[in-house]
Amino acid sequence: MSKSRFERGQIDRIRLHVLPTQRFKTFSISLYAGLPLTEETVTPVALIPFVLRRGTASTPETIAFRERLDDLYGAGFGFDVYKRGDAQIVQFRMDVINDRFVSSEQPLLSSSLKLLGEVLTDPASENGHLRSKYVDAEKDTLRKRLESIINDKIRYAGERCLEEMCKDEPYRLHPLGRLDDIDGITPQSLTEAYHKWLADASFDLYVVGDTTLEEVKTLVTEAFKMKGGTPSSYALPSANKNVKEVRTIIEKMDVSQGKLNMGLRINTSYADDDYPAALMYNGILGGYPHSKLFLNVREKASLAYYASARLDGHKGICTIQSGIEIANYDRATEIIKQQLESMRSGSYSDLEMNQTKAMIANHLRELQDSANEMIAFDFNTVLSGRERTAEQLMEQVQSVTAEQIAAVARKTELDTIYFLRDGKEV
Amino acid sequence: METLSYPGVQETLYREMLPNGLEVVVLPKPGFSKTYATFSTRYGSIDNRFAVGDQAPISVPDGIAHFLEHKMFEEPTGDIFATFASQGASANAYTSFDRTVYLFSATEQIEANLETLIDFVQNPYFTDENVEKEKGIIEQEINMYRDNADWRVYFGLIDALYHKHPIHIDIAGTAESIGKITKETLYSCYETFYHPSNMFLFVVGGVQPDEVMELVRNNQAKKSYERQGPITRYFDPEPASVKTPRKKAVLPVSLPKCMIGFKESRQPLEQGALLRSELTTKLMLDSLLGSSSPIYNALYDDNVISDSFGHEYNSSEDYAFSVLGGETKDPDELLRRLREAIENTKVVGLTKEAFERTKRKKIGGYLRMLNSPEAIAGEFTRYRFRGADLFRLLPVYESITLEEANARMREHFNWEQMAVSIVAKDVD
Repeated sequence: MSKSRFERGQIDRIRLHVLPTQRFKTFSISLYAGLPLTEETVTPVALIPFVLRRGTASTPETIAFRERLDDLYGAGFGFDVYKRGDAQIVQFRMDVINDRFVSSEQPLLSSSLKLLGEVLTDPASENGHLRSKYVDAEKDTLRKRLESIINDKIRYAGERCLEEMCKDEPYRLHPLGRLDDIDGITPQSLTEAYHKWLADASFDLYVVGDTTLEEVKTLVTEAFKMKGGTPSSYALPSANKNVKEVRTIIEKMDVSQGKLNMGLRINTSYADDDYPAALMYNGILGGYPHSKLFLNVREKASLAYYASARLDGHKGICTIQSGIEIANYDRATEIIKQQLESMRSGSYSDLEMNQTKAMIANHLRELQDSANEMIAFDFNTVLSGRERTAEQLMEQVQSVTAEQIAAVARKTELDTIYFLRDGKEV
Repeated sequence: METLSYPGVQETLYREMLPNGLEVVVLPKPGFSKTYATFSTRYGSIDNRFAVGDQAPISVPDGIAHFLEHKMFEEPTGDIFATFASQGASANAYTSFDRTVYLFSATEQIEANLETLIDFVQNPYFTDENVEKEKGIIEQEINMYRDNADWRVYFGLIDALYHKHPIHIDIAGTAESIGKITKETLYSCYETFYHPSNMFLFVVGGVQPDEVMELVRNNQAKKSYERQGPITRYFDPEPASVKTPRKKAVLPVSLPKCMIGFKESRQPLEQGALLRSELTTKLMLDSLLGSSSPIYNALYDDNVISDSFGHEYNSSEDYAFSVLGGETKDPDELLRRLREAIENTKVVGLTKEAFERTKRKKIGGYLRMLNSPEAIAGEFTRYRFRGADLFRLLPVYESITLEEANARMREHFNWEQMAVSIVAKDVD
């Protein structure tokens, strides 16, 4: 496990995290840019990466820009916008093969960082603003993305549950922003938002592959036009929140299967000492096919194909999701509540404890085989400000006791029940 | 145990054929923490009429291969997931058109997990009661897919393309078809398709090949299998035409989803030619319609497609079809524009530059895929079942010419053999 130490450095406002290794056939690069979620900024910030992917000052035409990627042996290039805790994170990802497998005229790592630097700091512009054509087209694309959330009913139900549960917190916001705010964005206003984002966001650049911190430092200095300053850190708000009463939301849509979701406040976050116990709580409750939800909702009662729990460690929320026959709503809710109750009463067998510990340990060891997963795991450290290697987390999980899990269970509160069922919208 | 070296991709494989007919391949990945193993049978949703040796053919209910996959996880001692969990492994399985794959991934207790994988797949336990219980779970799985617009538009297209070939049948079957499944039908499918000579074990990760082989050899030596004659699969002759030129389903979606398929009706190809044709078609499609192509960019700029637009190609000995499409505000406009652009390109041909660039991109994508044990296991098995070798694709890619790609394009896009599948929120 000691093979997974990132070397750290910084160039101006960008923190660098480099893992030199020859295990992969590729270089994996990730650039994270994060800001607190706010109603005013969420939509323009979400739109920025859509526009930046269209072209750079030196390759302004989209086709030419994409041909550049194809020429780097089909370098993978993509981005994602999501939320962690109350932060909105934009992540650019690149994956390019190591030169030793091909006869490339251009060094692939430096060409990739050069391209990423241009994307971030030197986009295609005209008359002092981002290209209007791209801003307009990507507004449409963003609108379609937001409207399409409804297409995937499982995801839709999950997001609606969180939105209802966090209606008074920034976390209610969708990471892609608000539909109603798209129309008002102009190339000028987006350019302003872009400059402000470049100035305010926290930047972290990860590189995993056959390279060194020194090499990456040199390449980043040449490739990124953001001079001066020092990196800023994340300050996620407390994950603790008391629940006054459980809210039940029922929504109707033309669906064949009911989607039953629940949101729990676990009042523990990644930075806390009892986070490993919270991981165990989530795992015993519903993280795996040996967990209580799968066994009781699916295997014993045959009510569902899927029934699971998922933890957002930065927000301190555990969500439960299941797809059920609509008529079985009461029965399924009852069975899930019984599982929450059995978590509270501390009734976990040694078998459940050992299985869950083994599964979490396996997951943490498996991370080491994927450059992107190692990066994602390490970024938790940056976000939470809590240093905890995969190895340390594994040791902490191993030593969690049943009493510690019960303590998490006792401060965990059911907040919201959301049910998407058949019928016309009311 | 034979050793196969592939210096071009810096990989070495170890292979052995056991006396009972089971083929085992090990790919050591030095430095990897994880071991990923798949145990696969050449048995999928299309195998609904078959015979062994000179026995009489039998027909089985739709969805039975998938049902069998679910039921394999139950042992007299309980659920096998629990055993894997105690050994720190995550296990799973999936059923596709032509294969069923059982798998685990683990970082410790590899020997115990490997034994568990082989033993549970080779130990069926079906009772009237546990078969009935599973029907409720699978009905919910079927309902889940009914609500999934991407799944509906994709399988709607395959159903529109094929009259007879069982590829058009839903992998999970229907509530009605699975209602007919009994423990007897499950056992007869099991006996036929889970014979070691119809199966393939692939292990990739931080393992020692000789230790893995030794373990599997000893495990199999303890079990007795009678020799089994060859399996014959029966398919009714498939007409060249498509079944339904235009098919539509109504679901609450924000924008229509539209997929366009071209069905090929050529004579079966021998394995080498089939592989070359598949790779050529994929290169051609990406060069023609990929995200750096002029056609894609013009359609995107004119708001006819979104960035969900994609393409794929599926082929086997007895079926071959492409799928193009994604979200669009106007399926008819998309169809008209694609037809016009493809017909134009058929006349002038793909450019040398675009073709060579796409080739590089494909080679890069192939090498990147080799980082992932999961992808290697899945793809290696898929090619192996068709008599091809995943690690020999690089020279094939390199040798494909622009002329071949252009010929493939002119042959493939036959508008008489096209079907369209649409999922939209309104009837029309």
